[in-house]
Amino acid sequence: MKNTLIYIDQENIINSIELLEVARQIHADQEYQSFGLLINQQIENKYLGEFDSIINIKDQNIKSYDQLALTDVIEELQNEYQFESIIIPATHIGRMLAPRLAMRLHVGLVADVTEIKKDEKSLELIRPAFSGRIMAGIETNAKKPIMLTVRQNVFTHHIDQNKELKMINYQPNNYNKAEIDLLEKKQCELSYDIRESEILVSGGGGALKDFEQIKNLADKLNAEVSASRKIIDDGKASRNIQVGQSGKTVSPELYIALGISGAIEHVAGLKNIENIISVNINKNAPICSLSDIVVVGDAIEFVKKLANKLEKN
Amino acid sequence: MKIICLVKYVPNVEDIKYDYEKNILIRDNVKLILNPDDACAVAFALELKEHQPEHEIEVITMGPKSVKPFVEDLLRRNVDKASIISDKLFAGSDTYATSKILSHYLKDKEFDCILTGTNSLDGDTSHIPSQIGELLGLNQMSNITKIDLARFKKTKAVIEVENGENVLTYAMQLPAILSLRKESDYKLPYIEYENMSLDVSDRLDIISNQELGLAKEEIGLKGSLTKVVNTYNKNFEEKDKVVVENNEEGIDFVYSFLKKKGFV
Amino acid sequence: MSVAQQAKKKEIVDDLIDLLSAEQVNTNEEDLYEASVDRYKKFAYARNAVDVPKPAAIVYPNSSEEVSSILEFCNQQKINVIPRSGDTSTEGGLENWKENTIIIDAENLDKIVDINTYNMEAKVQAGVPLEELENALREKGFTTGHSPQSKPVAKMGGLVATRSIGQLSTLYGGIEDMVIGLECVFPDGHIANIKNVPRRAGGPDIRHIAIGNEGTLCYITEVTVKIFKYYPDNNKFYGYLTEDIETGIKVLREVMVNGYRPSVARAYSEEDANQHFYHFSKDKCVLILMAEGPENIVEATGEAIEEAVEKFSDGIIEEVDSELIENWFNNLNWSQQDIDDEYEGMIENDSHTGFTTEISANWETIPVIYNNVMRRIKEEFPRAHELTLLGGHSSHSYINGTNLYFVYNYEINCAPEDELRVYHHPIHKIIVEETLKQGGSMCHHHGIGKYRSEWTKEEHGSAYYMLEKLKEVFDPNDIMNYGSIFPKEDGIKKYINKEK
Repeated sequence: MKNTLIYIDQENIINSIELLEVARQIHADQEYQSFGLLINQQIENKYLGEFDSIINIKDQNIKSYDQLALTDVIEELQNEYQFESIIIPATHIGRMLAPRLAMRLHVGLVADVTEIKKDEKSLELIRPAFSGRIMAGIETNAKKPIMLTVRQNVFTHHIDQNKELKMINYQPNNYNKAEIDLLEKKQCELSYDIRESEILVSGGGGALKDFEQIKNLADKLNAEVSASRKIIDDGKASRNIQVGQSGKTVSPELYIALGISGAIEHVAGLKNIENIISVNINKNAPICSLSDIVVVGDAIEFVKKLANKLEKN
Repeated sequence: MKIICLVKYVPNVEDIKYDYEKNILIRDNVKLILNPDDACAVAFALELKEHQPEHEIEVITMGPKSVKPFVEDLLRRNVDKASIISDKLFAGSDTYATSKILSHYLKDKEFDCILTGTNSLDGDTSHIPSQIGELLGLNQMSNITKIDLARFKKTKAVIEVENGENVLTYAMQLPAILSLRKESDYKLPYIEYENMSLDVSDRLDIISNQELGLAKEEIGLKGSLTKVVNTYNKNFEEKDKVVVENNEEGIDFVYSFLKKKGFV
Repeated sequence: MSVAQQAKKKEIVDDLIDLLSAEQVNTNEEDLYEASVDRYKKFAYARNAVDVPKPAAIVYPNSSEEVSSILEFCNQQKINVIPRSGDTSTEGGLENWKENTIIIDAENLDKIVDINTYNMEAKVQAGVPLEELENALREKGFTTGHSPQSKPVAKMGGLVATRSIGQLSTLYGGIEDMVIGLECVFPDGHIANIKNVPRRAGGPDIRHIAIGNEGTLCYITEVTVKIFKYYPDNNKFYGYLTEDIETGIKVLREVMVNGYRPSVARAYSEEDANQHFYHFSKDKCVLILMAEGPENIVEATGEAIEEAVEKFSDGIIEEVDSELIENWFNNLNWSQQDIDDEYEGMIENDSHTGFTTEISANWETIPVIYNNVMRRIKEEFPRAHELTLLGGHSSHSYINGTNLYFVYNYEINCAPEDELRVYHHPIHKIIVEETLKQGGSMCHHHGIGKYRSEWTKEEHGSAYYMLEKLKEVFDPNDIMNYGSIFPKEDGIKKYINKEK
């Protein structure tokens, strides 16, 4: 029976649990048990239902941000359970913990996995590289455990049957504590920075007549609003949401360009964007050649229609 | 205080090409740039030195020899010393092997703090800082957006970290590895006109495996535990776009695209 | 600025107000700062690092007579005068190198005097924006045939004073081919009016003393230009990807020497093509042609273009959808907005949209110059590793040769006030040197300004004698645009080489 360990990070608990799907895709071909590692956290069993076991550690000396202690603890668990794979969410902590642990265990590590290709012979872990310009399929050498961090909110796990959850209360024997203290913790301020946005709904000259509509669509997509020069010049929005040479450079995962022709001035502000949808009356507008989907037509009409569609579903 | 800045020159993603047969990067005629996160690390170090000139800054980078003119420019900006770790034997090293090579060089060095970036534009794994931390027995922190200049002491640093949700302020014991993010906005100073062509060769070392003496099994492809077996092209060139009309059909298409990509 | 200097400037301003009126004399500090440089020092300007003195005032004369009295006054007082209309110059032609300087701006000389569609002439004052005239003509079904990239901003006086050229020049010619007559005012106050006739053999063509004088001899107050019938519906666009820029230039030559006149005729290097045509250029060189005019001529020109392309088909990779070329053509001018945007960009980032140096030479030597320049910059330019763009295009062709428009850009890693001597000038220098070495002209259409005055004597050789004499006769007190065209050691030392 093979064991797999999933590190449940309090930064993103639900997504950590979703990683059961990754375990399934890696081990589906044989019998395996999934272990979830829970350190100083209280989570209702109903959420944990899909794990075979939860290794539950309660030890206030282990700080969630102490990667030295965490590494020691997981190494100890590895010696005990001989995990076939260790799966860690690519959170702020996860991305520091995983490499350290991999080095400790002398195994390879694949970061930010977004897709898994598995056949009888090989396991290929796929991740974006070059700021998402290409996807790289990566194999690790035979050494176990297989280690990977997983891009957040990519995999979703479908609960089929609720198992009998085994709760293992565990007290690690020896670990070193790092000399680090959390002095303060405060919310990031809400006023958004389009350079950090994951989804941008961006308006240009073609959306001038009713720029407000764009906000409406953005809300439905949990996206932020950005704009091209024309909108700013028209005083419809402030310069700090302007994309382009004279504005900001953005690299969201999705960019919806509404009535933006894509003059070099604007395109200069678009960097390594994986998905671009452009809406333009001119299907030859420069931006269209950079787009995955070109919707030929009026930007505002499109916004209303898509917003409706999102409403309904 | 002795500060080591660990930086990487990365191909400008704009003009990067990839050999899909050989599965290797074609780095010829690709413009190299100092990785933005790493630039902030050097920029902070220089800002510190500006206030307290007694600080000593060494920049260490691993890569092709073609990074030399860029590294020279860092020396012209008042970095004290620089080392380029470069050897054909290192080619193809994954993060595991790279961390070993860098740590091997670092282990005999004296320093109070290692400053570096969080992510690199090309690899973007952010493995190296924490793996070097493991090999050197040092703590490490990523996503640093601010280092408190006034409270930056030989044995302790106070830093601000952004994890997406929160801004976290930590007090961290030094020596440690501090990985900045470009959002920290530390800017490299200008090179003074008089120093534009300053000869800095006496402060620049190029270090090959001759000096490091690592076994061939530990480095390059041989020393790597992961390897790229496939690459899947992503909008290098013009995308094969789908053109739809602004009607129900078109909207449905867009909607299913958003669904497929997990945006809705 | 010393107390004495301040007092002197104050005195100048007061005298000007007596001469004109308070509202015609602008001493707003911001405007004066802007007026102290042109687009050559755009980056230093955006970063408040300008090293040249501010002028004492900007004046706006309402008539040729007022221009006359201002010049007379400045001539007596030995006050430097910089004539201005449009303010789009790029070579330092509008940059100020003197403590006591006034800018004479044609702002108020803004009347379209007469459009005569029977005689096919349009008479305008110097301050009329080209676009305004063009729109007025289009309404009537006519065009100036003059379309520089600066069209939305440029004004007629400035265009004539700098020997401007438009993107359609290969058909319509440069501004010198369009000017029929003009009126200009000399430092001694004399107003000269050159009458409008189809042609004459009345001694040397004195129009050319004023055309392209860059404000160093006289102030142009009024110009009369030819107009042309406008046939937009007949326009035909042709685009091709080519293996190299030479192929493009060969095709341009073929079309020209066979006696055809496309309006647009452009061959781009891959680097340059990438910044304009990134959406179809595929990292290749681009060749663009446009046939314009009466239907049958367009037909014939179109066929000639296709034949020429056929002849060099080995170097042609593929044809480009002409719709794409048409789209480009309809959006190729930069507006005031683009200038403002670059300005905003320069404040935020250590970069700008790049610089250009335009030269001309005959068909044989053009490729030699191009290749030598590329080689030398890559080999000799100490900051070559910071170049982000280096390429060029040919955009104005003639029966015996063509121009090259070198474009280049770079990361700026020095202080704003040092940018030019660290980056732009060394590149600029190589281009000029290579061009002159091959017997070409170092200044195809941007003028000499101040930043190529170092080479004016080399440019003109033994004929510089004629230029020099003109200057002595018309501007004996040397008050007209000090430092432009005619080299001035002190200025070159101080403001170009920044010698302490």
